[in-house]
Amino acid sequence: SRARRGRSRKEMSTIVRRCDGGAERVWQASGGPTEHKFDPYDFNGGTTLAISGEDFVMVAADTRMSSGYSILSRKVSKLHKVGERTMLAAAGCQTDVVALVNTLQTRHRMYVHQTGKGMTTTALAQMLSNTLYYKRFFPYYAFNVLAGLDADGKGAVYSYDAIGSFQRVPFSASGSGQSYVIPLLDNILCHKNRQDPQPPLTPQLAVEFAKEAFVSAGERDIHTGDAVEIAVVTKDGITTETFQLKQD
Amino acid sequence: KDGVFLGADTRATGGSEVADKNCAKIHYLAPNIYCCGAGTAADTEQTTALISSQLELLRLSTGTQSRVVAAVTLLKRMLFRYQGHVSAALVLGGVDVAGAHLYQIYPQGSTGKLPYVTMGSGSLAAMSVFETGYRDDMDEADAVDLVKDAIFGGIFNDLGSGSNCDITIIRSATGLAEERRNFRTPNDVGQLRALYARPASLVPPPGATAILETQVEIFDAQPMDL
Repeated sequence: SRARRGRSRKEMSTIVRRCDGGAERVWQASGGPTEHKFDPYDFNGGTTLAISGEDFVMVAADTRMSSGYSILSRKVSKLHKVGERTMLAAAGCQTDVVALVNTLQTRHRMYVHQTGKGMTTTALAQMLSNTLYYKRFFPYYAFNVLAGLDADGKGAVYSYDAIGSFQRVPFSASGSGQSYVIPLLDNILCHKNRQDPQPPLTPQLAVEFAKEAFVSAGERDIHTGDAVEIAVVTKDGITTETFQLKQD
Repeated sequence: KDGVFLGADTRATGGSEVADKNCAKIHYLAPNIYCCGAGTAADTEQTTALISSQLELLRLSTGTQSRVVAAVTLLKRMLFRYQGHVSAALVLGGVDVAGAHLYQIYPQGSTGKLPYVTMGSGSLAAMSVFETGYRDDMDEADAVDLVKDAIFGGIFNDLGSGSNCDITIIRSATGLAEERRNFRTPNDVGQLRALYARPASLVPPPGATAILETQVEIFDAQPMDL
């Protein structure tokens, strides 16, 4: 009882080692039943970005997968093809992302078998929302950005939250580095808060914006780095390039 | 065998954001004693400054060079008093009349005197490099190289560490320190930015920012009158 001077007899302490090398004493009520909880989610980090153009869409995502302060892989792709001309970029909990992508790809395959046609981007957007809301009370921990060409051949980008609320937007960034990317692109891409004329958006310019955004996000977000995978979707197909980032 | 070699990375984080890309983590305690600090930045900064000042007063009253054990004892007594709430995990090294010494000091106040030590979130990555490469009585070039490699292990494999490597050498022969700030800079973003075409809209031309209102006040007083 001397060790617990000043505290209730019912309290018990444990030493918890923090990931910064320090340790702290954590007090919990005890004496009665103790509950140990299993946390089903892990945060694997990463940033994703998609920009829509007149007749193309550009999707980019970094390739780092981390857990806590450790890097698990420098070369994990966060870009997934779900339709003929639609890409899903998703960061968050990697296992949830993979499970979600498998579900979408399976349902798309079934759609093709049943109707003989591929799903349009707008249909996939709605299906993703429905799939996410299906798990409203045990969500997929995935920050999704869907990108593809719409029925008129124009670029379409859809931005989601974890439970399926979505909206079509001109560009979207999500993941751990989104706070660094969105304000930058608001200014240099959408020319917000500035009056100089906006040049027309070409695929080359969109790729330049992506590289600029990821280099800057990689500077300030510890979970973003290693490399960025950039895909450009046009009516002729999907081209991909990988650009190396800093590895620290 | 030539002295004590301290190394540190230069990243300071606040959660998952990098607050400072090039901070200095090797602190001066005495001309012959330096201290690397991991943990809460304010704690390491202020604690080392306080003990540095206490050591200087001691030098003035004793008339002799500071001893490394004195610095260690002052630090551990203070940290133990605060029961770990001052979150400073330190690697202290120096050279005095009794030789070259290296200590690790934990936030709760315990210390270890060892030939090689690492602290911080990247300490496991750095220690794995030390355990592979350490030999007794290394010369200066090898020791600096090993410390640099250990810090690089933390910089590239630990998310809490990054940017550049700082080194401080305290030589046994002279008892003096040589600070090598930014000894290696393997993460220079300028080089990375040169590898792609940067968007032209990064540089707003004159007139890009809207002027909503202009107000001019004329002061006709002489500058000295103001």
